[in-house]
Amino acid sequence: MAREAWIRKFTGRQIFVHWLFGISWLVLALTGALFLWRPDPHGTVTGLGVYLQGSVGQTLRTVHRVAAVGLMLAPLLYIVLEPRGFFRDLKELVTITRNDLRFFVTGPVFYTTGKGHVPPQGRYNGGHKLNYWIVILTWIGFVVSGTVMWLLRGAVSVQTFRLMLLIHSLSFFVGVPMALIHLYLTLLHPFTRQALSAVISGYVKLSYARMEHRQWVEEELARGTAELREAPPGAGAA
Amino acid sequence: MGRVGTWEAWQPDPRNPKQEVAMLVDVSECIGCKACEVACKHWNQNEARIEGFTGSYQSHSNLDAKTWTLIKFTEYEDPESGDIRWLFQKHNCMHCTEAGCVTACPTNALQYGDYGVVTLDQDACIGCAYCEQACPFDAIHVDRTAWDQKAQKAGKCTLCYDRISNGLQPACVKTCPTDCIKYGDRQALIEWGRKRVEELKARGFKNANLYGEHELGGLHELYVLTEPPEVYGLPVNPRVDWKVKAWKYAVQPIGKAVMGAALFGMAINWLAARRAFASAGARAGQGDSGHEGE
Ligand code: SF4
Ligand code: SF4
Repeated sequence: MAREAWIRKFTGRQIFVHWLFGISWLVLALTGALFLWRPDPHGTVTGLGVYLQGSVGQTLRTVHRVAAVGLMLAPLLYIVLEPRGFFRDLKELVTITRNDLRFFVTGPVFYTTGKGHVPPQGRYNGGHKLNYWIVILTWIGFVVSGTVMWLLRGAVSVQTFRLMLLIHSLSFFVGVPMALIHLYLTLLHPFTRQALSAVISGYVKLSYARMEHRQWVEEELARGTAELREAPPGAGAA
Repeated sequence: MGRVGTWEAWQPDPRNPKQEVAMLVDVSECIGCKACEVACKHWNQNEARIEGFTGSYQSHSNLDAKTWTLIKFTEYEDPESGDIRWLFQKHNCMHCTEAGCVTACPTNALQYGDYGVVTLDQDACIGCAYCEQACPFDAIHVDRTAWDQKAQKAGKCTLCYDRISNGLQPACVKTCPTDCIKYGDRQALIEWGRKRVEELKARGFKNANLYGEHELGGLHELYVLTEPPEVYGLPVNPRVDWKVKAWKYAVQPIGKAVMGAALFGMAINWLAARRAFASAGARAGQGDSGHEGE
């Protein structure tokens, strides 16, 4: 059997930015979400309240703010460190193809039953694009509302503050289901978790890429820009 | 109207926490001496915060996390007679029946307690200041800086819950030299206030009114005012902001349901996909035999 070939999807800098963003996001989501399971004073469920007494809640609030800096910086770092990648991504994102839309019909069937197939997709498939857009929009929502609540309390009207409170929460509840699906597909799903290597070593299996991103693979190969290697990531240079 | 002797010994029924107590401030009798401010600081062990003189008779520009009651001072010119009046309004938490702060607090540190008091559990407070921004009366605060505190915590009038639950009067009530702050059963105070308003009207204060009876489902801080509420800076017809309500009663429950649905969907998907890809995964591993392009 031939050695498995791998194709490069992300650069080291992209991987760094991805994890800076992802880890900040997770820390923020966890420190923010703890309070959703607060004790109900009139119910029997005690929630997490007992663990958040005294200075614990305050400390978590500080952690939330430190992570917020990471979240704010990550996209800006992406622009600075890898402007070409950033603008190429943007271009991909604004080009929504027919196949991207068809992905949402055939994709769920394929990922659940293994039957059928996804139409040829670019570097980002329809699902990636949806995730990317939600991340961008909620990032704006989080950063704007969070900055106002953190630094501009008293400087803005109470009406504005209350609106920010609502926006922060809306961003959370739009962002979290998407993030859960994103995590599920790359960590747990028996098929798509093969994609995880892209944000660790930068490479994915060529066979997998052919199935999930056929259009992209064909273009890279045709243009001769595909970076291929013949060993699984972690095994060192072939 | 002088001392209301029977109320000095009044205490709520300890077996009936549903009983509603209240304070009533008859501003027509307030002389602006600020003894209540001092008594409040003293009893609650809040440090003095000395502000510079700004030309006003008011001691502090606003309430803060360690200043829980404040005599607000307004120099008011009667539009008809041209008379100048000094108006005093003892400002502090109103212990609303429908409270913006309780609605906004993400940790449930703020709660509706016994006797109609809105309680604040400082241990549970994280200092997010959502309450400060949601209160229609600007009556609860979190300091911007925490220089002298271990942690930033919200602070507001407790209606001296620690005193009244032990049969004592609130500290401000006890100290007031003119007895213009009254404390007792809420309904009894409302009846007293109505009579007092009539009396003031008869004496020429034709704008006299009772504030707090119906606002926000009923406040537990009532006022007999000699001028319309807006003259004192009190909101006419206050409301809990729809944005705060939408946050608590729509976004959070719907959001949690969506999260739950997403988790449920993923669990189902995992069960199905695990079986489906057990063979397909092996196939995928063998190379290029997956989907055909179109
Ligand atoms: S006056 Fe403000 S702080 Fe007091 S109970 Fe009402 S909303 Fe809460
Ligand atoms: S500052 Fe404290 S009391 Fe106020 S909303 Fe936040 S947690 Fe609740």
